[in-house]
Amino acid sequence: MPLLMTKTGKKTLVLLFTLFTFLSSNMGFSQEASVEATLSETNIFSGESVQMNIKISGQALNSIERPNIPNIDGLRWLSGNTSQSQNFTYVNGKPSISYTYGYQFIAQTPGDYTFPSLRVSVNGEEFNTKELKFKVLDPKTIDAGNADRSPDIYVRLEPSTTEPVVGEQVTADIVLYFKSEIEIPSYQASPGWKAEGFWKEELENRKQTTTTSSIIGGVRYQRARLLQYAIFPTKSGELTLSPFEITVQVRKKNRRRDIFSFGLGQERMDLSTLPVTINAKPLPELQNSTFSGGVGSFEITRSIKPEKAFVGESIEITTTISGKGNIPLIVKPDFEYPETLELYNPQESSTITRSNRQIGGTKIFTDILIARNEGTFEIPETRMAYYDPARDRYSTATLPALYFEAERDPRATSLTTEELRFDITPITGLAQWVSYNEMPLTSRKTVWVLMVLPLLVLGASFGYKSYSDKMNTDTAFARSQKAKEKALDELEKATRQSDLKIGYYHIQKAVTQFICDKLDLPQAGLSIDLLVQNLSDGGGGQLAKEVKLLLEKCETIAYAPNATQAGLETDIQNAKDLIRSIGKLV
Amino acid sequence: MMKFLSVCVLFFLIPLAVSAQQNEQLLFDQANTLLEDGNYFDAIQAYKTIEQSGQISGGLFLNMGIAATQLDSMGLAKYYFLKASRFVTTNEEATKALQYVSSQFSRQSATLPKLPWDKAVDIMKDGIGAFGVFLIGFCLVVLSILLLIAKWFRWLSFHRINSIIATFVVSGLLILLLSFYVDYVDQRFSEAVIIVTETQVMQQPGESSDLVSLAYEGYSIVVDNRKSKTSEGWYYIRLGNGQFGWIQPETVKIL
Repeated sequence: MPLLMTKTGKKTLVLLFTLFTFLSSNMGFSQEASVEATLSETNIFSGESVQMNIKISGQALNSIERPNIPNIDGLRWLSGNTSQSQNFTYVNGKPSISYTYGYQFIAQTPGDYTFPSLRVSVNGEEFNTKELKFKVLDPKTIDAGNADRSPDIYVRLEPSTTEPVVGEQVTADIVLYFKSEIEIPSYQASPGWKAEGFWKEELENRKQTTTTSSIIGGVRYQRARLLQYAIFPTKSGELTLSPFEITVQVRKKNRRRDIFSFGLGQERMDLSTLPVTINAKPLPELQNSTFSGGVGSFEITRSIKPEKAFVGESIEITTTISGKGNIPLIVKPDFEYPETLELYNPQESSTITRSNRQIGGTKIFTDILIARNEGTFEIPETRMAYYDPARDRYSTATLPALYFEAERDPRATSLTTEELRFDITPITGLAQWVSYNEMPLTSRKTVWVLMVLPLLVLGASFGYKSYSDKMNTDTAFARSQKAKEKALDELEKATRQSDLKIGYYHIQKAVTQFICDKLDLPQAGLSIDLLVQNLSDGGGGQLAKEVKLLLEKCETIAYAPNATQAGLETDIQNAKDLIRSIGKLV
Repeated sequence: MMKFLSVCVLFFLIPLAVSAQQNEQLLFDQANTLLEDGNYFDAIQAYKTIEQSGQISGGLFLNMGIAATQLDSMGLAKYYFLKASRFVTTNEEATKALQYVSSQFSRQSATLPKLPWDKAVDIMKDGIGAFGVFLIGFCLVVLSILLLIAKWFRWLSFHRINSIIATFVVSGLLILLLSFYVDYVDQRFSEAVIIVTETQVMQQPGESSDLVSLAYEGYSIVVDNRKSKTSEGWYYIRLGNGQFGWIQPETVKIL
């Protein structure tokens, strides 16, 4: 046991030594402190307050001795208003701490001044801040009218340059200017900003929006950059950036705060930038290289995989373009491939980064080739160029020649050779000829006839069915429909009769039966007068008289001395005419 | 009198039809001689004369494809072999020829698979055709009407006759509608083949428009006939990979 304990102790010592060495090395870093002094404003109106901040940063700040503030020309120190803040960060495994001391001053006499260097002691080491130049302005120089006329708030579109070359990135800032007495709790950009003639991409802006102060036309404004876009002109000439619209919530600082106001003190304002004209210059002429379409700073490489393949297997030529600039606008390079290679549809992929006010990323083009014959193939050296706006000239990347070897797959030789043979013989005998007549369905008469025919058959069948049903169920209808047929049958019997009395009996029966069937009257027990009366009521006044005459003649024919066969035939004809007329009437 | 007229009409029409076919066969034989003699260009011209007369056959298109292959015009050859493959008599030979021709193109187009519905419409279009589908629908509708009439007049009566009639009517009407849809697709969209080495597919009809893609010889495309009519001198097409664009008509042959 003691032996073991001794061994463990040695291990502990080694660990402690390692830790000490590590900490010592960190302590070495901790000595690297920095001191920086800044003024919140460098153009200050007499009577305005200004803050001077001293920021002391380092990985370990053991002792800090604050500076003594001397008398400063042009400023009066408000010694009771000193502030202090501290910030601790831990980045990439390294701690960092910073202390910020704020000293408040009031601007005095107008003029140009210099804030002197201050001595600060950190961890026993002396640091001197830089001198800061500032200007105290006379408030009388402010044109009161101009100050009143200047807007309380407005938004501007500020491009990084107005004369880029085609494809060069222009950073367009959407900047809000507002007077000091105004607060902006929130804002919202209207969607759908159009930048015609440009390809645009919104840049990442992870930091919270901060304001800086500036004097514009003698009036102090707070300046806040809200959004950033990277825009790339796609053609040369004068291009106009249309107005960018945002909606902001505005609150006056001097408005009396009321806990029950529920935000009623806020006002919503729609703001819009003025149109901005960008004059895009064309790219210069390029010689002896292929232009990739890239404008920026790129690295271009090309590779082949695999370098050895079987005939019929795919080989990939990958071209990678990475860097900063108009990555999405870069076009696929057209390489010269041997004619015996089959080129399939190329693939394309890209990744874009939007950080640090710069569009960048990687674009990869993959050409897929297939060798149809064995051999060693060379893809010749080529030069690809991109335009570098920083150097104002083209930069060229030389892509070295690529080689690959294709050999025949021993397992597939017979199949390949057989497939490639063209042994189709022409047809030279009798051919089966057909007429080429391709008409749309709607233009074919046959189609319309076939469409209508079933409907006609259906309609006709339905009509016949309805008629048949009515004949079977409606007695009056059936009698009416069969009346003429029965009457004509009766008259036919009269025609065949040689006996005048029986002939007139048939005429009487035919007429009486017809009228009864048509008017749905009972056949038995009806006198001539009653029959004629019913016919007369049905609208046949004149016909009723003729019917009455004929029926009376039929009843009294037995007493007629000069009745003849010719008279019978005439009366049969009269009866037929009467039946036809009554049939039309009823 | 009517019988006499009918006999007269038949007497004049049948010889005319036979004479027309004999004429096509004669021209076909002459064109075949040119093909066998190695005069491929003249042979194609002679075959085209027959095609323009309105008489076609599988053999005609197969021989045109062979002539185009010998002239090394592979796009044109593919076009004729595709036409020949639509005839039962030459389908097998044309399919073999198409395999060879397709292997000769240096660039191959990626082709998106068709949706099942589009496949079904294609089968109907290339199989029995829109009119065939129409006749099936018509027969079902007529059958349902006959059953209905038989039921009305009590010539036929059995269990569930109403359900059967309703099924036939609905099916028949749906198939009739389907036939008109197949016909619409057939009339609106045409398959076509690129016959030039390379052609530009533009975003809009016009040479100054943005370039969508390049189409190479032998690419199979689909032409939208209705949209093409909106811009004279340009065809609106869909490439095999699903991209759309406009190309000039002289660069393609519509099947």
